[in-house]
Amino acid sequence: MATASISNSPSKWVVLPHYAFAAGAFLVLSILLLFSTNAFGGHYFHPKLLTLTHVAVLGWATMVIFGALYQLLPVVLDCKLYSEKLAFYTFGLLGVGTILLAYSFWNFSLGLVLHVAACCLLAAFVLFNINVIQTARKAPKWTIEADFIVTSAIWLLLTGFVGLLMAINFTNPFLPQDHVRYLQLHAHMGMAGWFLLLIIGVGSKLIPMFLLAHPEDTRKLNWSYNLINGGLVFFIFDHLFFRSPLTPLYAALVVGGLVLFLLFLHDAKVLGHRKDMDLGMKQTFLALALLIVPIVLVFLVSTDLGLPQQVLSSLYLVYGLSIFLGFISALILGQTFKTLPFIVWMHVYEDHVGRYKTPLPKDLFNTHLLRWQNISYLLGFLLLVVGVLWRVEAVILAGSIAFCLAAILYTINVFHLLVHKAQHLTPFVYGNARA
Amino acid sequence: METPAPDRTQEVYDVLKYIIDPEIGVNIVDLGLVYDVTITDQEIHVEMTLTTPGCPMSNTITMATEQILLRKFPHRQVTVELVWTPAWTPERISAEGLEQL
Repeated sequence: MATASISNSPSKWVVLPHYAFAAGAFLVLSILLLFSTNAFGGHYFHPKLLTLTHVAVLGWATMVIFGALYQLLPVVLDCKLYSEKLAFYTFGLLGVGTILLAYSFWNFSLGLVLHVAACCLLAAFVLFNINVIQTARKAPKWTIEADFIVTSAIWLLLTGFVGLLMAINFTNPFLPQDHVRYLQLHAHMGMAGWFLLLIIGVGSKLIPMFLLAHPEDTRKLNWSYNLINGGLVFFIFDHLFFRSPLTPLYAALVVGGLVLFLLFLHDAKVLGHRKDMDLGMKQTFLALALLIVPIVLVFLVSTDLGLPQQVLSSLYLVYGLSIFLGFISALILGQTFKTLPFIVWMHVYEDHVGRYKTPLPKDLFNTHLLRWQNISYLLGFLLLVVGVLWRVEAVILAGSIAFCLAAILYTINVFHLLVHKAQHLTPFVYGNARA
Repeated sequence: METPAPDRTQEVYDVLKYIIDPEIGVNIVDLGLVYDVTITDQEIHVEMTLTTPGCPMSNTITMATEQILLRKFPHRQVTVELVWTPAWTPERISAEGLEQL
């Protein structure tokens, strides 16, 4: 008989500040979007678009992922986080780096501030890697989820390194090829290497858990890992040294890996005992459905179809939008209300359970706000995509307003959760609890 | 060592039904998390598990189990042992538990 250990959860001060910063960044992102409607008419290498992208991927997505991961890593790996102190330093460096980077891109001031920002971010990624790898080394059992998470952290570090090289290259050109080629490399390392692998690693553990399913066959996940990493490595080498027309093939490898992950989730859904999905899970499945957009577009933008340059530029913009403001944002909007209420509940009520009648995590946030957040988000995203494709600024503005509303509702709900305190608890009486 | 009265054991299970898994919203007995209960005049021993190893709720649920039993049986010593074998699977959920999902 194996006796279980005590909880491996980190302190709430390691986790919760990430959610607060990320909510603020999401709000800032939506406000910047309102003032950037004129930026979607041309090439993606545009100061405002660079700002929006980096606020979205660093301040919003990476920040919330770091926070959630410090809580989830001990669950996935079944051991304590290596260092809470490292997590604090990482948070500070990521926060400062993101703000400085956003300031630099928005003003297109590509000097010292940008260099400092890139150094802060790279330092944050180095510390994050140390924390993740050292935690994984303590894990009693190595799993495919651990492979995904550790590899994603390494890809994040490489993405940051390429970013730093590009930042230096703005003022001291030394890179042998065109800047946009490195930007494509940087973006895809971040999208497929960091976000996709991380989401699969955490999602393959969490989503079946939420569905009450225990799929034991991990062959699909193993192949998913091989295909995504293989496709990405081939793409990088080809992109740097050969420039062959094989990019769609590498995209197919990555998409194949993604499809295997979706099939794994489908198996979990079939096996799952929980048929009634809450709003957080519905939003999560919406995010997975939205993946169809970048899956189709990656082949359109990587295959030479002879499309007019203007159409190709719009497709590139929608491709980026569908990943950052589509899949990744939709997923975070849904999973925030699966993870954060639970974390807050645990820290507020841990000492009261069994002695007082306590609410459940789902009682700690406003469901009406969440429903309207999900509706306004989807409306905003669809309007943005249509507006960018048709190049109609008024539609882009309408999408930005809806997106702003979603961000306001999200931020209210997140801060409502963060400041939650136990109040008016009634002592446990066997007649008044749910049995 | 006295032989426990069977209705006492049932009483322990009934009390434990007041502890709800915060994520799933079903009590720990109907979820099939409680593997064994031993009760004597001096002590109560509960052997239980969680839905997944590494679950952050391990402290909360074991402490809640201990607290609620101490309130109901104040003159007995309560020990809660968390085990991982046999591993919990959704098949352990009772018919009542499945209805609550």
